[in-house]
Amino acid sequence: MDRRSFLRTSAVLTTGLAALAASLKPLMEMEGFPTTERFMQKYYKEMMPADMDKVLARITNEVEQQYGLRPHVRDYKPMDGVEFVYCLNLTRCIGCRKCVHACVAENNQSRNPEIQYIRVLKMPHGSLDIEKAEHNYNPEQVPEKGFFYMPVQCQQCRNPPCVKVCPVHATWQESDGVTVIDYDWCIGCRYCEAACPYWARRFNFTKPEIPKEKINPEMSYLGNRPRRQGVMEKCHFCIQRTRQGKYPACLEVCPAGARKFGNVLDPNSEVSQILHTKRVFIQLKEEIGTSPRFFYYFDV
Amino acid sequence: MNTESKTRTTLLLLTAAFAGLAAIFLANPSVIPPRQNISLVDTNFLDRSTWRRSYADLVKAKEDLSDFDCYACHEKNKPPPLRFDAEQHLIVPKEHPDIVMHHGSHERNNNCYNCHNESNLELFQTRDKHELKLADSAPLCGSCHGPTYRDWEAGIHGRTSGYWDRALGEMDRNLCVNCHDPHSPKFPGRKPAPGPHPLRGSEPKVAHAETKH
Repeated sequence: MDRRSFLRTSAVLTTGLAALAASLKPLMEMEGFPTTERFMQKYYKEMMPADMDKVLARITNEVEQQYGLRPHVRDYKPMDGVEFVYCLNLTRCIGCRKCVHACVAENNQSRNPEIQYIRVLKMPHGSLDIEKAEHNYNPEQVPEKGFFYMPVQCQQCRNPPCVKVCPVHATWQESDGVTVIDYDWCIGCRYCEAACPYWARRFNFTKPEIPKEKINPEMSYLGNRPRRQGVMEKCHFCIQRTRQGKYPACLEVCPAGARKFGNVLDPNSEVSQILHTKRVFIQLKEEIGTSPRFFYYFDV
Repeated sequence: MNTESKTRTTLLLLTAAFAGLAAIFLANPSVIPPRQNISLVDTNFLDRSTWRRSYADLVKAKEDLSDFDCYACHEKNKPPPLRFDAEQHLIVPKEHPDIVMHHGSHERNNNCYNCHNESNLELFQTRDKHELKLADSAPLCGSCHGPTYRDWEAGIHGRTSGYWDRALGEMDRNLCVNCHDPHSPKFPGRKPAPGPHPLRGSEPKVAHAETKH
């Protein structure tokens, strides 16, 4: 190789490499590139308690670095003899959307872009036609005459389509009926989002933005710990609360008492009483066979 | 064309393509509309307290109960007379400005002594003349609203908070009057919390025309 062709080739190569690097700029701007620790992390179900302790310590440090407060992260396991069921009284719901925002505050959802697990549908009386539903109502006062409101969130199906389609088993149904997501295992393919008939799953297209002072420090591994860009999330019945015996946040804030939650295996629980005594209850889109653990009922 | 010149052409083309891409990204033309500035939700919408405070709450919090001292104004053993207008609607005396009588859509439940005891105003009475204390108002409501009272006792009607698992903690119960104004029990309308915002661009249009009240 003579001097001239060497210079020419190396000039072309340098320019080419520089251009390649510059063209990868969007990729370089992506945050949350996995650390070795997270990259080498075991599958959730294969983790021994000692492994989990390490992971929880890592998450604690990450959250502290990012948000400047030390969270209390735990891995809450399902309780024995418990199957969670949610009942929602459509006669009582006034459509005030307080549940939506209580959920966001409890579960450390991104504020901008907005990620919300609950959508409140406004529908005209006399039908249950979701085609006629409206999300963006904003009148001076709710409830409005001639309409009823139907909050929709993850229905925690007994036969969840989202779990079936996950190619990496990053989402599964636990023994208390809650379908959870391991945010460290999710690859962000969004198959589950497409499979869900209830539009209950949310994808973090960008890095979630949560103001530091709005972080809820009571966190769970499969629940409300902060997510990163590129993973799915959804309602998990507030496992950091409910697996300690508390009510979920959306129920606590409901001013109308329309939301009822409990253990369906306990015959004296509120939800068992509702399913036994209330005359009408529906499961949303029950004809598709997902068999939700979320029941809508009416006061008749 | 020999191999060397082919390689060179390919390299040159690739370089040009990458340089072009680099120019586009570096110039960063704003083809994407800017993100919306979404303001944080008013913390009033996160408030978990009930809409009203019951007499039982006031007793518990040891607050001023002088409003409930009926005989500061009324005379003992002398039931205050009731006045009705031409349409048999109760005329609420001006000394009770906070009372709006609207119990039931039929407007026929308009007699104070359906619930208050005329011979002792500091007690309630059911229609079958059972006397009840002011703090113990739920059975009074239940004496007419049987099915709702049954539901309330089972925890189905009304707000609950605290623990669903009674083994781990208490479930907090509310009285009827923690949410319902006994003189006008229907919930007043409220401004709803803000709806979902789109990531970019303008707010979506509302499909239905909003109903006016």
